[in-house]
Amino acid sequence: MEVKILTEHYDDDNFRTLEGYKAKGGYVELEKAFKMKPEDIIAEVKASGLRGRGGAGFPTGVKWGFLPNNGETRYLLCNADEGEPCTFKDRMMMERAPHQLIEGMIISAFAISSPKSYIYIRGEYVYAAKVVEKAIKEAYDAGLLGKNIMGSGFDHDMDIYLGAGAYICGEETGMISSLEGKKGQPKLKPPFPAVQGYLKKPTIVNNVETLAAVKYIIRDGAEAYKKHGTEKSAGTKLFSVAGDVNKPGNYEVPLGYPLMDLINNECGGMKGGELKAAIPGGTSAPIITAEEIQKATLDYECLAEMGTMLGSGSIVIMNDKRCMVDMLKVISHFYHHESCGQCTPCREGTGWLHKLVGSVVEGTAQETDIDLLCEVANKMKGRTICALSDAAALPVLGIVPKFRDEFQFFIREGYSKVKGQAHA
Amino acid sequence: MLKCKINGKEVEVEEGTSIIEAFKKVDQDIAHYCWHPGLSVAGVCRLCMVEIEGNPRLQIACNTPVTEGMVVTNQSEMVKDAVKWGLDFHLINHPLDCPICDQAGECGLQDQYMQFGRYDSEMGQPKVKKKKVVDLGSKIVLDSERCILCSRCVRFTEEVSKTNELGIFNRGDHSEIGTYAGKPLENDYSVNTVDICPVGALTSKEFRFRQRVWFLKDKPSVCTGCSTGCHVDVYFNKEGLWRVKPRYSEVNGYWMCDEGRKIFKSTNVMTTEFVGERDDNKKRAIKKENRLTQAIHKESGKTVYKTALDSLGLLREKMNGVKKAALVLTGQYTSEEYTDLLGFWKSQFGVDNVYHWINHEDQMNEFDGLLIRGDKNPNTKGLQQAFEKAGITAKKDISNISDMDLVVVAGPENPWTFDDIPSVAQSLASNKSVVWLSATHVESAEQAGGNFQFIPVKTFAEKSGTFVNFEGKEQKFEKIDIFVEQALSLSEIATVLKGDFVKLDPVNQTERIHNEFVHERG
Amino acid sequence: MFELSADGKEFVKKELARYETIESAIIPSLYQVQKENGGWVSEDAIAHLSDLMGIPEARINEVFHFYTMFNKKPVGKYHVQVCCNVACAMAGTREMTDMFLDEHKVKEGEMTEDGRFTFTRVECLGACDKAPMMQVNEDYYEDLTPESARNLLRDLK
Repeated sequence: MEVKILTEHYDDDNFRTLEGYKAKGGYVELEKAFKMKPEDIIAEVKASGLRGRGGAGFPTGVKWGFLPNNGETRYLLCNADEGEPCTFKDRMMMERAPHQLIEGMIISAFAISSPKSYIYIRGEYVYAAKVVEKAIKEAYDAGLLGKNIMGSGFDHDMDIYLGAGAYICGEETGMISSLEGKKGQPKLKPPFPAVQGYLKKPTIVNNVETLAAVKYIIRDGAEAYKKHGTEKSAGTKLFSVAGDVNKPGNYEVPLGYPLMDLINNECGGMKGGELKAAIPGGTSAPIITAEEIQKATLDYECLAEMGTMLGSGSIVIMNDKRCMVDMLKVISHFYHHESCGQCTPCREGTGWLHKLVGSVVEGTAQETDIDLLCEVANKMKGRTICALSDAAALPVLGIVPKFRDEFQFFIREGYSKVKGQAHA
Repeated sequence: MLKCKINGKEVEVEEGTSIIEAFKKVDQDIAHYCWHPGLSVAGVCRLCMVEIEGNPRLQIACNTPVTEGMVVTNQSEMVKDAVKWGLDFHLINHPLDCPICDQAGECGLQDQYMQFGRYDSEMGQPKVKKKKVVDLGSKIVLDSERCILCSRCVRFTEEVSKTNELGIFNRGDHSEIGTYAGKPLENDYSVNTVDICPVGALTSKEFRFRQRVWFLKDKPSVCTGCSTGCHVDVYFNKEGLWRVKPRYSEVNGYWMCDEGRKIFKSTNVMTTEFVGERDDNKKRAIKKENRLTQAIHKESGKTVYKTALDSLGLLREKMNGVKKAALVLTGQYTSEEYTDLLGFWKSQFGVDNVYHWINHEDQMNEFDGLLIRGDKNPNTKGLQQAFEKAGITAKKDISNISDMDLVVVAGPENPWTFDDIPSVAQSLASNKSVVWLSATHVESAEQAGGNFQFIPVKTFAEKSGTFVNFEGKEQKFEKIDIFVEQALSLSEIATVLKGDFVKLDPVNQTERIHNEFVHERG
Repeated sequence: MFELSADGKEFVKKELARYETIESAIIPSLYQVQKENGGWVSEDAIAHLSDLMGIPEARINEVFHFYTMFNKKPVGKYHVQVCCNVACAMAGTREMTDMFLDEHKVKEGEMTEDGRFTFTRVECLGACDKAPMMQVNEDYYEDLTPESARNLLRDLK
């Protein structure tokens, strides 16, 4: 069953305007937050168990707690560089409820005492950027941004920044580099952004959904928020479902929701064939088979146990007409295309993986290349500045062992086991 | 201070020291390409992996600070595997053109390959093609395929020279270093990028294809290019010097200027100049005798060659009849030489007519903020100190020297730093006799008419001694080798003029250099 | 030599003052150049921006080459970017791109002879529930079929 907290009013076209948003209780929580102490807001967010909705799932309140008390200007960055393939929840959130994000951000900024925030939106989301920019202007005009917001004495400025086409800018330090006007290459850690981020100042980077959720934690309280979800995965989450289902789309369900229920209920069941596999958390999450899907629940811990991850909450469902060699080729092309080129294992490895999978399809591979593919992927893991190298390796390490027969068949016969000779 | 253990060796380091610096401190080998002590940390080559006790993940040594009690190793199987694979990732798209690559013999990839190499390449896929032989201006050539994108050169132009010519363009395995729109990499420090390039991607036009590095030997010395006195390594064989590279010191850090790299030219007997452009068919090498290998007497239009010692003997005889003599000194000799020659001169001719020949007095105090100083002499301070010690007030107006029976000039070792040589030679020609001590040919003086006697002297490479740099720091350096048999130092000349004997070192003491010779990379 | 319009220069000036560092203005300024230059950024524009912004050319050039949305060569009046990532590939966009290229007798990334189109395969544009989809200039077109896509291109004026 969907539980609509964030998305309750998304069907209301007016919700994106300040007026419409206020009509549905908008900016009430901001007023409430201003009456709280910043440290109490942080404590509430910590207590709620809210985890980062961008992919890594790091506890938000804990992240906020890393800010040093050194008197330096703190920045809040909203990560709206939604680039993980098959994720499209943040775009919808910005297009349909920009004020929800802005309110969540002002509350969060107040909690961490930040005078300035940016919403970093991926360059392709031109429309979303326009909607958000307009909403920010409305908020300024209404005194919800700027000096002495709602008479609270709290000053806050907010701006958007449009990316220009680079997946890596979704990595928080890559985003910071990009915002600083450089190539969007991730930075060495330590220091972590909370200590030295944007312009070497303490910086918190949170996903759109994470920041929007803060509003509802203030509205309902941590206890109420925690009632949804599981012990370690609190609250509701948006899942972007795509692929072979009848009703692909964004669905807000409590964490811990069974994946089969999502497929059968919200998504209207399978389309075009029997269930074969799913990629549960963006393309970098290792694939799970139909059998595993039966037992999978949508929470951080269950998917981690299965050797995959919840990630950004994007789910690609595949039916039995899908060739896994082909799928891996598409995925490895993506990481090859998006590697920023800094760290050698990733820069060279992503190209190597892509070429190896390509050689399977082109008929120039040998059977030993299957093991080589896995070995190269294994050696790319955990050896680079950011997780893109791992993100490129994990799909290989998921798909190849689980569908090895398809790779062997392709190499031996020169065409896809699934699609047959006609599609070779 | 923090105590830590590096490969089993206890070491104390200051707070803020990185693990890789601790490795260097205890002389433990650690593979690395992108880290350089004179640049910011990039952390991209991923080769300096270490295992830290209590941490399941390998860390890079360049960006991990040492903490109290840390136990670190790079000898474990896990680290060796990571380095082996790190190297493999570096090599898959690297061309195997070592036989024609100038870096061969001092290449980071070769060195690591010998240690960790996977002897069968597993890369069966076509390599990424990139730009070859990119002309980066008058000094440097780039081969993008050889580049391993360590970003050292880019960081150098950003952080040290602050000229920002270089960048890494594109991304992923299509990343390439380069300059915007093919602009040249021309700055006063550009060749440092060649030194710090761990592979053969950036090579120096001056040096490439001239010598295999394993046939060269290197010795430390001090640069004679200006009063900064950068510490350098001089690379040489029996034919002479081939290149000069900076050597770390507090004076110059890790760098030196491009101008200073020219100093080896004054030492070599023959020099080769290339005429014409790279793509020009008429491009040719012109070999020329650069050093003065024996004494030359130019008297009333006639040229007579003599050995240096014979020539000095004649001078000694002539000196007895001389009433009015002048001595002209330049700041390009050692303090020891000044003391000896001035000591002799004072007893023979007194202190009245001693001159300090200064090149561009107006620029003497210029400084570019990094290393280059306007005083293009390594030992102006030393010369001033020697004058003071000898109680000499040196004159500066050389053009006023006239009516002398004898003028002795200790000319500049690096003649290109004195653009008034022709006019000085011209004005000195009016004197009765001029003795010009010089390491190299002084063509303008040879053609000035008058009576000139040229006697070959040693360059910095052929003698030991002291230079006092701009801040008064005394910098001793040792002889490299002798390249011109007859060349004498000013001290030896003073000895001969006093009537004593000198024993000259034979040329080319450098033994044959064997292939096992391996030297440190920059 | 490319030069920004007076308004364009004014825009760059404002962007330079808008963020904490002037370098942050590079991306917005490149967008402005692209807008004024018919959809792509020429090499001389980098030198122009360098002059205008007081930022070394190499730094601007690095940013320019890093991001895929800056076009390195001229593009057609309609830049058709077809998503070929997982969900859209499953929905047939790779075949659809081949069809476009075939029908317009043009190679990927090249401009059609009449200057109307450039077709490029791009990565996920975040509209996977509406696959197959493509972006034409700034607009998304979703739930396509080969027929509807063909008609759409035909009707673009």
